[in-house]
Amino acid sequence: MSDSKKSDVEAAELALKGMAHSEQHYFNSYNHHGIHEEMLKDEVRTRSYMNAIVQNKHLFKDKVVLDVGCGTAILSMFAAKAGAKHVIGVDMSTIIFKAREIVDRNGLTDKITLIQGKMEEIELPFPKVDIIISEWMGYFLLYESMLDTVLYARDRYLNKDGLIFPDKATIYACGIEDGDYKDEKIGFWDNVYGFDYTPLKETALAEPLVDTVEVKAAVTDPVAILALDLYKCTVEDLAFAVPFKLTARRDDFVHALVAWFDIDFTACHKAVRFSTGPHTKYTHWKQTVFYLKDVLTVTQGEEINCHLDVKPNERNRRDLDIKVKYQLETQDPTRQGQGEAEYKMC
Amino acid sequence: MASLRPRRSADPISDSESSDSREGDEGWDDVEQDEEETTEVISLLDDKVFPDVLSMLAYCKESHGFDFLAVRQKLQLDFHGSVKLVNYIRHRVHEGSPVTEDISKADFDQDQFLKPVLDDDAVIIGLFDLPDVVPEGAPAAEGQGASVVDDLLQRNTQLQEELARVTAQFESYRATVAETLDQRWGDVDAAEAEAKAAGDKGKTKAGEKPVDASKYYWESYAGNDIHETMLKDTVRTEGYRDFIYNNKHLFAGKTVLDIGCGTGILSMFCAKAGAARVISVDASDIIDKARENVIHAGLASTVTLIKGKMEEVTLPVDAVDIIVSEWMGYCLLYEAMLPSVLYARDRYLKPDGLLIPGACNMWIAPVADGEYVMDNVQFWRDVYGFDMKAMQSGIWDEVRVLHWPKDRVCGSPAGFKLLDLYTIKTEDLTFSSSWKSELTADVDDGLDGLLVWFDNFFAPSRESQGVGLQSVADEWAKEDKDRVAFTTGPFNDETHWRQGLLLFKHKDGEASSAALKKGTVIEGEVTFAPPEDMPRGLIIKTEWSVAGEAKKHSQSWDMR
Repeated sequence: MSDSKKSDVEAAELALKGMAHSEQHYFNSYNHHGIHEEMLKDEVRTRSYMNAIVQNKHLFKDKVVLDVGCGTAILSMFAAKAGAKHVIGVDMSTIIFKAREIVDRNGLTDKITLIQGKMEEIELPFPKVDIIISEWMGYFLLYESMLDTVLYARDRYLNKDGLIFPDKATIYACGIEDGDYKDEKIGFWDNVYGFDYTPLKETALAEPLVDTVEVKAAVTDPVAILALDLYKCTVEDLAFAVPFKLTARRDDFVHALVAWFDIDFTACHKAVRFSTGPHTKYTHWKQTVFYLKDVLTVTQGEEINCHLDVKPNERNRRDLDIKVKYQLETQDPTRQGQGEAEYKMC
Repeated sequence: MASLRPRRSADPISDSESSDSREGDEGWDDVEQDEEETTEVISLLDDKVFPDVLSMLAYCKESHGFDFLAVRQKLQLDFHGSVKLVNYIRHRVHEGSPVTEDISKADFDQDQFLKPVLDDDAVIIGLFDLPDVVPEGAPAAEGQGASVVDDLLQRNTQLQEELARVTAQFESYRATVAETLDQRWGDVDAAEAEAKAAGDKGKTKAGEKPVDASKYYWESYAGNDIHETMLKDTVRTEGYRDFIYNNKHLFAGKTVLDIGCGTGILSMFCAKAGAARVISVDASDIIDKARENVIHAGLASTVTLIKGKMEEVTLPVDAVDIIVSEWMGYCLLYEAMLPSVLYARDRYLKPDGLLIPGACNMWIAPVADGEYVMDNVQFWRDVYGFDMKAMQSGIWDEVRVLHWPKDRVCGSPAGFKLLDLYTIKTEDLTFSSSWKSELTADVDDGLDGLLVWFDNFFAPSRESQGVGLQSVADEWAKEDKDRVAFTTGPFNDETHWRQGLLLFKHKDGEASSAALKKGTVIEGEVTFAPPEDMPRGLIIKTEWSVAGEAKKHSQSWDMR
């Protein structure tokens, strides 16, 4: 590493040290190679972006592209390969110094400019850009997500007819039968080597579980609960409260709600989309499971009235406070069930 | 993710916290000491001082016409009720309001009166020494001879049960008070820190207060996940459990210290095994959950939980018979908790006391796995058509923690360090040792690295321990039914410690090393030391050479 590069890294690290503890953790945790390795090896994710970009050279040719949260710069390099006039990659994390080495090794230094810093604080070398690309999605779409930064960049830098890749994100939910695993994760605390550990059970219930769910566990039809149009949505939309109904497909028990999201690149000549749901290939986002305190006993065709309330935590905006209300609509008085639960993703 | 959680007193800027939390410890001291020795008893109705509760109550009856015992009997007060009554009276006296014998239960049956009016009120602590409330309608002592004896015996049993119950209640009451106080100090802390942060804004950069690096360490243990992982590690938890439950005679009537008690599981094992007293220390917030667990298990009268660092807390006893601790980290010594155990050993363990575990040894073996190297190292050569070799840089510098497939271990395991926990010193944890391994199979593409793990040994006495450098957990345990041992190695069930992989760095283009034949001897020296800037981290360094080759290799790996 040359001396000038080294002092860059040191300056960046110093800047990181000045930030709030939680912010620092967020940016620092991305320095570890593991997370980038996991993201790059997530084929559904990386290949979808690759297809959306390199199969649409007609959209990228001679365009100025902004990559928000560029990480190892893989998307920036796809855009450069697709014929972009210039790509600007921005990332707060010191991974960007690795990204510079990578871009250099691949002979794309004159096509890609990488800037270390917060989107809101840096100066771009272009007053406006034609396309914004970004992989900003977190668990449950919004946890630790960078969407607010993407929206800032859109409002500040995107040309009037500019494109956003991806431009649509939809959160879905359904009810699942998950007795065995709920026992293992939640029931575990009822009896730990003969001891009552219920004080830890409440904490376990309040933490949504990021894990893979088998499609056969789905007891209800999936329902879209939030659709974000990235051209139009605002930061305020990221705190939302929605009612929705889940309809039972069969007679079964419902132990939990599971949520996932789909991502669309509608600007493509041939639409590219991928899903992180239980019905399709594994992604590193897996699904997010919200265990209910009670078990609902449902028969085919019955509806569960749900209400979901999601908002960023006031103290740490990358954390989420989530409230779920549920009520089973049934004529059978013995199976009446309703409740509400609060969760915290942090 | 655990460290993301906002915490009550988790402010990295505040250095006031350490002094405040010391105050908290002092609070503990007082309570503990009052229990051991008698202090002055301040009269309920004026400010006269007495040597014990009974003489004070006698005085109140005589001089003020207030018979506390009669009121307590009349209202049939249990322990909590008596506490409320004491605090209610003190409250009234403090206000200057009169106190008469016609108090009704409704006057003071409010939770606010659980809070002591006087700090460390000797009357409340002395409630134990008072005669019991006779249950209403209880038969007065009647009959003669044998039936009287029977009655008395029965009554005696009842009283003993009652005493145990009340003691447990008092423990939980004390814990609640301590917790409330902790919380209050915590809030003060946070407020102070906030005010400070606001005041210092703008000049924090230059004169920044040193951050307590260990805070991250304690915070990382405050979440559920890590405890779930450890409890569900059956090799670990059942190892401790089996040793404790199979050796109940060692615990009966003994005082046990549990260092880093976490959720309190080992403490409760010891209490169930018959320990007279278990003192459990942990600096992480998880101890609040442990306290609840202990109360739920009905063990609050046996288990005393103390929040704080082992080196800073004051124990309610001078010496303990047994120290139990699950202190082991990745590659045994990462996170460096052992020095705290050794500190407690030297400070508190009786000369013939027992350590659980009593010994550990560490192992190393050469490994080869082309597939692993392909997936994790070569991967970066071509990522969707791009050269990302820049991402390889850390790969060879960090210990990788994973469960290695046993058929990819290609040399005999070599024990390289024995830790006899009765005698080892903190300075012995920085060491160099030699090792020697013989290849157990032909290795066509050369070695890819070394694997490090450790075994743990639990013996019923220090004399019978007999653990050697090359003792293998399973074989050692088989020699005596009272022994328990487990390994974290690749040939047995996976534990949450897994193993540490030290990946060899091969220069680009250079053949990793020539094919090696079965039986080839690899010799080396391994060094363990903490990094200067991170005492809970670990640097492992190894020099090694293949017998018959002149070339000496050397490489070091970090764990941070």
